[in-house]
Amino acid sequence: MNMDDAVRTFAAESRELLEEMEAALLTLEQSPEDSDLINAIFRAAHTIKGSSGVFGFEAVEAFTHVAENLLDRLRAGRLGVSAELIALLLACRDHIALLVEAAVVDEPLDGAGQAHGETLLTQLRGLLDGGSAPTSAAPAAAASETASETADSWSLKMNFQPELLQHGFDPLSLLRYLSGMGELVSVQRTGVLPPLAELDPELCYWGIDLTLAAEGLTRQALESAVEFFQEGGEIAIQPQPRAVELAPVASEPAVAPVATRAEAAPEGGSQRPPGWRTSGGKSIRVDAQKLDQLINLVGELVISGATTNLQAQRLGDERLLESMSGMSRLVEEIRDSALRLRMVQIGETFNRFQRVVRDTAAELGKAITLSVTGAETELDKTVVEKIGDPLMHLVRNAMDHGIESPEERVAAGKPSHARLGLNAYHDSGSIVIEVSDDGYGLDHRRILAKARERGLVGPNQQLSHAEIERLIFEPGFSTASQVTNLSGRGVGMDVVKRNIEALRGTVEVDTTPGRGTVFTIRLPLTLAIIDGFLVGVGHSSYVIPLDMVQECIEVTEEVRGETMSDARYINLRGEVLPFLRLNELFDEQRRDLTRENIVVVQYAGAKAGLVVEELLGEFQTVIKPLGPIFAQLRGVSGATILGTGEVAVILDVPQLVQAAAGQAGVSHNATVH
Amino acid sequence: MAKTILIVDDSASLRQVVGIALKGAGYDTVEACDGADALTKLDGRKINLIISDVNMPNMDGISLVKAVKQLPAYKFTPIIMLTTESQEGMKQQGKEAGARAWVVKPFQPQTMLDAVSKLVAP
Repeated sequence: MNMDDAVRTFAAESRELLEEMEAALLTLEQSPEDSDLINAIFRAAHTIKGSSGVFGFEAVEAFTHVAENLLDRLRAGRLGVSAELIALLLACRDHIALLVEAAVVDEPLDGAGQAHGETLLTQLRGLLDGGSAPTSAAPAAAASETASETADSWSLKMNFQPELLQHGFDPLSLLRYLSGMGELVSVQRTGVLPPLAELDPELCYWGIDLTLAAEGLTRQALESAVEFFQEGGEIAIQPQPRAVELAPVASEPAVAPVATRAEAAPEGGSQRPPGWRTSGGKSIRVDAQKLDQLINLVGELVISGATTNLQAQRLGDERLLESMSGMSRLVEEIRDSALRLRMVQIGETFNRFQRVVRDTAAELGKAITLSVTGAETELDKTVVEKIGDPLMHLVRNAMDHGIESPEERVAAGKPSHARLGLNAYHDSGSIVIEVSDDGYGLDHRRILAKARERGLVGPNQQLSHAEIERLIFEPGFSTASQVTNLSGRGVGMDVVKRNIEALRGTVEVDTTPGRGTVFTIRLPLTLAIIDGFLVGVGHSSYVIPLDMVQECIEVTEEVRGETMSDARYINLRGEVLPFLRLNELFDEQRRDLTRENIVVVQYAGAKAGLVVEELLGEFQTVIKPLGPIFAQLRGVSGATILGTGEVAVILDVPQLVQAAAGQAGVSHNATVH
Repeated sequence: MAKTILIVDDSASLRQVVGIALKGAGYDTVEACDGADALTKLDGRKINLIISDVNMPNMDGISLVKAVKQLPAYKFTPIIMLTTESQEGMKQQGKEAGARAWVVKPFQPQTMLDAVSKLVAP
């Protein structure tokens, strides 16, 4: 079908309508009260006018328009049916027929025809009293003054009516349309979602503030662009000052769209006062190094406080002891506040991924929504800085390999839109970060086959699902059949694991085939100070991070007799508890052969017992990192200085738990499940 | 997948011209000659947008909007109404029925294309 066909349709249709019109006019003469007839006549003229306009047949349109106006009056009962009127309308009908035929063959009407048309128009206008001269002209002229206003950059603040979505209007379509008019310099979502329980999914709660830049863009063009979205809402269109003038206006949100969005999201309010950013005046910027120095000093204060405490106890002076206990409490508070200074919310790190996910998803042709939860969870800035890369890798990996293409998803009965989740929360002195997707999940068979191929697993070795999943963290392991430019070179998961372990953290994977994968990263809240539990082994002291200590049990004859001989596990209330002897591990000479205690430690769901001689109690301490010489040392994560000036080693519980499980022949996960 | 647009107008030539313009921009089109005919086209197929004239025999545009709003599968379909400037009263009725977008007749095919693309990208 092409335009010529359409013109032929127009001609045929118009002829038909004009015939109907003629018949109706003739009948109307007999029964002037028949409103159905008047409607039919009006509609015929109306339709011809409408379609001739679409074809650009201006002569037909202009003439029919005047005739239609008259018919409208007739329809409204403001004009009586008379023989003269019928005669005039019939003449008009004939003239329209002429105009249509002329338009269809693209030839102007001859002089006589045109003159006849003018006469008819004069007669029609006479009946219309000239009263219905185009009324829109006057207001349009008045409005055009602002409408023709041009600028190279415009700010649009749009608050939509809540029912927008119910009318089928999608603000995203509008954004797409606007982006076709110029460059969207910044787009900011405004508005607040109500709590889930009160949320009506059919309502639109968001607004959009945006800056659109295009040379010589008129207000009129913008007004027409947003016209459908205006009803019931509020759309403010303002020209933006030129970029040069923009510089001193620090609070202009358009300058840094990404940063503003990240900051604005938790604040939410759509009606922000112009100076809303100055609320940041309550916080000040401090050089991170100064903070580090402060925290170091506080660490030293904690240590020297402990020393003083020890001296006071030796002296036994009651007044000194009293003032010391008051000071200890203050030191503790100072320590906590100092550490909090360096705590930042993880949200900013998470929000960086919105863009990454959007761009990468587009690149991969997948539809992926990132949902962020627990953005307000705080952790030490030093940890946040180092977690970015491993997170980026996990996110990209999930998008590249974890999530199916929309077609595959639909075929698998899943929504075509995939979900990628970033979640953070605090769990017993650690921060847990989860990267989850609802994609394929890990293919156990493929991983195992690959591991056998690489010789990582013996041909007859049987592995549990959890063990198979952990294989993906082995160096050089990748099941991706194709190398993509995002990931899949097999240099990934092991690097992720190493980076996280360097932060005293762990990474684990949990998968449900066909349903998705969750990577769980556990990290200490801070790298500087820990609450420790001091134990004595031989002539040395060791520190176990307190939040990992579950309980302490005495090794009784009963326990000893039952299992301690050579088996490396005991029965803890019906549970298998593998244990390690610290004196053997660190080659310490036993000092006290009569007493032994087991400290039950727990990490990420797995438990182990550490056999020590003395329990010395809680102890807050500053971690002094060990030098690079000790990097290969297993089971040790740092050192600290005791009040006496002695050095105590801080135990690396995650490694010890794994070692205990390994030597007892009990799989790490067997104790979990 | 191309978005499908239902064009409802009693003028076949208008439907054709609008159809040519929309197809040229990458949309699929379905045509109906009046409101009643349009309802028969809303038979479960995917319709992303409806363009409807107001003044039509059998079932007019306003009644069509009201009927569409009663169809669970189509009630959120955006509707563009075609009116003439003289039909302010109609526009009010249309708004009450639930129509929110208007294009004034006569229009250039490009104007219609513009209006459609504000609501639905091809």
